[in-house]
Amino acid sequence: MGSHGGLFYRYQDLAPQLVPLDYTSCPDVKVPYELIGSMPELKDNPFRQRIAQVFSDDGDGHMTLDNFLDMFSVMSEMAPRDLKAYYAFKIYDFNDDGYICAWDLEQTVTKLTRGELSAEEVSLVCEKVLGEADGDHDGRLSLEDFQNMILRAPDFLSTFHIRI
Amino acid sequence: MLCAALPLLWLPLAGAAATEEPTREPGSPGEPPPGLALFRWQWHEVEAPYLVALWILVASLAKIVFHLSRKVTSLVPESCLLILLGLVLGGIVLAVAKKAEYQLEPGTFFLFLLPPIVLDSGYFMPSRLFFDNLGAILTYAVVGTLWNAFTTGAALWGLQQAGLVAPRVQASLLDFLLFGSLISAVDPVAVLAVFEEVHVNDTLFIIVFGESLLNDAVTVVLYKVCNSFVEMGSANVQATDYLKGVASLFVVSLGGAAVGLVFAFLLALTTRFTKRVRIIEPLLVFLLAYAAYLTAEMASLSAILAVTMCGLGCKKYVEANISHKSRTAVKYTMKTLASCAETVIFMLLGISAVDSSKWAWDSGLVLGTLFFILFFRALGVVLQTWVLNQFRLVPLDKIDQVVMSYGGLRGAVAFALVILLDKTKVPAKDYFVATTIVVVFFTVIVQGLTIKPLVKWLKVKRSEHHKPTLNQELHEHTFDHILAAVEDVVGHHGYHYWRDRWEQFDKKYLSQLLMRRSAYRIRDQIWDVYYRLNIRDAISFVDQGGHILSSTGLTLPSMPSRNSMAETSVTNLLRESGSGACLDLQVIDTVRSGRDREDAVMHHLLCGGLYKPRRRYKASCSRHFISEDAQERQDKEVFQQNMKRRLESFKSTKHNICFTKSKPRPRKTSRKKDGLANTEATNGKPPRNLSVQDTAAVILTVESEEEEESDSSETEKEDDEGIIFVARATSEVLQEVKVSGSLEVCPSPRIIPPSPTCAEKELPWKSGQGDLAVYVSSETTKIVPVDMQTGWNQSISSLESLASPPCTQAPTVTRLPPCPLAAEEPQHPFNLPYDPRPSFAFPPSLAKAGRSRSESSADIPQQQELQPLMGYEDRTHLSPGTANSHWCIQFNKGSRL
Repeated sequence: MGSHGGLFYRYQDLAPQLVPLDYTSCPDVKVPYELIGSMPELKDNPFRQRIAQVFSDDGDGHMTLDNFLDMFSVMSEMAPRDLKAYYAFKIYDFNDDGYICAWDLEQTVTKLTRGELSAEEVSLVCEKVLGEADGDHDGRLSLEDFQNMILRAPDFLSTFHIRI
Repeated sequence: MLCAALPLLWLPLAGAAATEEPTREPGSPGEPPPGLALFRWQWHEVEAPYLVALWILVASLAKIVFHLSRKVTSLVPESCLLILLGLVLGGIVLAVAKKAEYQLEPGTFFLFLLPPIVLDSGYFMPSRLFFDNLGAILTYAVVGTLWNAFTTGAALWGLQQAGLVAPRVQASLLDFLLFGSLISAVDPVAVLAVFEEVHVNDTLFIIVFGESLLNDAVTVVLYKVCNSFVEMGSANVQATDYLKGVASLFVVSLGGAAVGLVFAFLLALTTRFTKRVRIIEPLLVFLLAYAAYLTAEMASLSAILAVTMCGLGCKKYVEANISHKSRTAVKYTMKTLASCAETVIFMLLGISAVDSSKWAWDSGLVLGTLFFILFFRALGVVLQTWVLNQFRLVPLDKIDQVVMSYGGLRGAVAFALVILLDKTKVPAKDYFVATTIVVVFFTVIVQGLTIKPLVKWLKVKRSEHHKPTLNQELHEHTFDHILAAVEDVVGHHGYHYWRDRWEQFDKKYLSQLLMRRSAYRIRDQIWDVYYRLNIRDAISFVDQGGHILSSTGLTLPSMPSRNSMAETSVTNLLRESGSGACLDLQVIDTVRSGRDREDAVMHHLLCGGLYKPRRRYKASCSRHFISEDAQERQDKEVFQQNMKRRLESFKSTKHNICFTKSKPRPRKTSRKKDGLANTEATNGKPPRNLSVQDTAAVILTVESEEEEESDSSETEKEDDEGIIFVARATSEVLQEVKVSGSLEVCPSPRIIPPSPTCAEKELPWKSGQGDLAVYVSSETTKIVPVDMQTGWNQSISSLESLASPPCTQAPTVTRLPPCPLAAEEPQHPFNLPYDPRPSFAFPPSLAKAGRSRSESSADIPQQQELQPLMGYEDRTHLSPGTANSHWCIQFNKGSRL
């Protein structure tokens, strides 16, 4: 697809010295996270590392071209809602245990608020968030809890697109 | 309404009569002119403001009358009713004064009536929604309006060429284009008036409404350009003039927006420094916004755009800077002014239409215009939507398009513009006026009336008032960041990219510059939402309790949620005994419902959550602290008296009791039950619950207080020392200073600060096996508004004024000995089965009040009357109460026991 061609050049732009223009031999190339995370636009984005981690193969934030393309297929309008929800869930699940637990949420809230809330406040907020969405009352959010919760919001996943 | 109009008609006449005979007072008959008149009738000096005030009064009274009937207002939009009323009033004025008066003057409209409405809509515009849909809004506003103007004008000209318009309508193509430009713009006032009652989904609303606001620039430009072309004469118009016309579109719109933003900046900056003069904060908002409007008007820029942008731009900073009281003041004043202006506009529109000297009828023109505006609006919407849907993430479907086409209401702006036409230059002005009036009336009345059924019939997605959740807030922010990050990675400068940039800029510079340091520091949206949610949850929690109780109270014998144990135990006993012990019955009935369990869960959440913000705001309370004035002191006193009274009645049982009735009864419930009470009175079943609820309310009428006081306190004077309220949430025991007043009988009770929830310690979920139902409800907390801060402040200020020894007795509280309710009340033998049950009881005085139903039911209307007055103070007491749900009371009898 044309846009994927564009994406490839973008990917190649990220690390021109690492990524060969010729991809016919499927070289095992990764753009290290340091390059992605140091982009000036991303400097202030609290989730830059997390996104890279989620979409990278081994969770270290180094992205292959496939990872890179995956990221956009998830964000595309064609992606099914469940897939979007799954990846959104993964972004929240900092410790990769398959559940969003209080610790995960604290990470999120801390990142979002840029450390402006005290630890106690953060934990209060997290408690509340958990309480709102925790359907089975096990103190953590499973993927089902998460899906239920975000599907309830009217145009929640419908806005989780990027049109490139 | 006719009677309301009479003074208006009478006054000018009376004024005329009065000028002839200035001394009407009998005390000064026939005094010579140089003498001192005891009474002078000076109508002419006050005439203008008096009439203005009277018109507003008439409009407001009309509103009240319309809303007396819920049925009428649910079917007919208020704007229709007002226009019809205006027609009637105009007819009367015409009949009495023989000439049309009190018309909608364009000057008045543009300078005084329009700004409040636009400011209100701009200020309260949901900015995120607005910017999310900005592309669509701008398209419809600019392209759509241009399209409508040109097609309508050209089509009308074609109609004239085809001979369907009577030849006496002398108009050239330019005239028709001018007319098209003023008739084509969707009117914000009309749209707002109708759509606010229809409740379509937010996206649809913001698109139609945003269009109606932003198309002002286009309308102004088109109108001015066409008008000047007409005045120049079409022969003299040169190519450069067209170019100038196009350029002026940008100048007018961007200039208007820039003026608005400049004033928004000034406003935000000014409010940063009003810390010591809180009182002028609301005024500043209005003044600067109005200045923006006038400045734009002065420079012939789009004033509507200016004021919209001013409101939109300043809100975030102003809201953060000004005090919560000012915030409320701004909100209410803005709404009041806007609603008032809107009412007057529609009424004057109706009145103006009566003046037949202004208009001349031509059926071809009128019908043609009506058809064309509807047709081209629909066509334009469909075409534009098709284009827009190629770019929109969430496409607008067919139903949306129908509503958008049909919702294109014309209104007072068109009317004012057409009145402004110069008859010497536009010979067909009278025809245009008539057509405009018909179009406005048709759109407002016919379309306004039918849009609601249409929306229902088409099953348009309505706006859902789902609770905003913290999750939503959290995920919205997170997703914004994620999407922005993805756009950054791909190097695509899309919407998320720019929003992210803007937010960075705002955070780094604008907020720093425009917000107070304190406001900036505590301003974190997630925390804000969390805080608001907590309060709201507390309210809904309390409300749910209210529903439980009211349903139990009303349907005692067949309470579905009652489980078998309650059925077999006290409930049945009580019911079979046939006595009036219902007051406890309902409590027990609600014990084990699953809903209570849920409430309990929520309650725990609240307990954890609500305590914290208080401390937080305490730190910043200097910002909001307003010294306690006499009114507040008085409220506090009322509260303390109530507390004291309740305490005494509790003590009259000679036992250690805990409050179980922790929150005042909702007035709504009592009102609902008012009728029930009366009916029950006749069939011999005393409505205990009603009375208890009423007497337990924090705010009571003085009479009922005193009656009960005399009941309970006389006997119980001496054992009220050492009442200690244990506030477990803060681990403090707070001691209250002595209260003065008629309650001197209790020497020194120590009362906690306003916290009617004291006894939530004893909530059923708190005492595991206790199974005590506590009916917690408070209508008053329902009115806890967005600014709960007053409540916090009051609780804080009262907290600070109190000693706070550490809590040592809290543990003893939960397991207090049972309280035989009937200890003092031999009339309550039915309470005896209670005894084995742990620590729950109602104060005898309350039960007594229950028996003396006549008194308490007499209180109800009083309470209802008090409600508007007391609502505010109630909440100031209650919001801390709802917040600190851990308050617990212990009656420490000290040596007497």
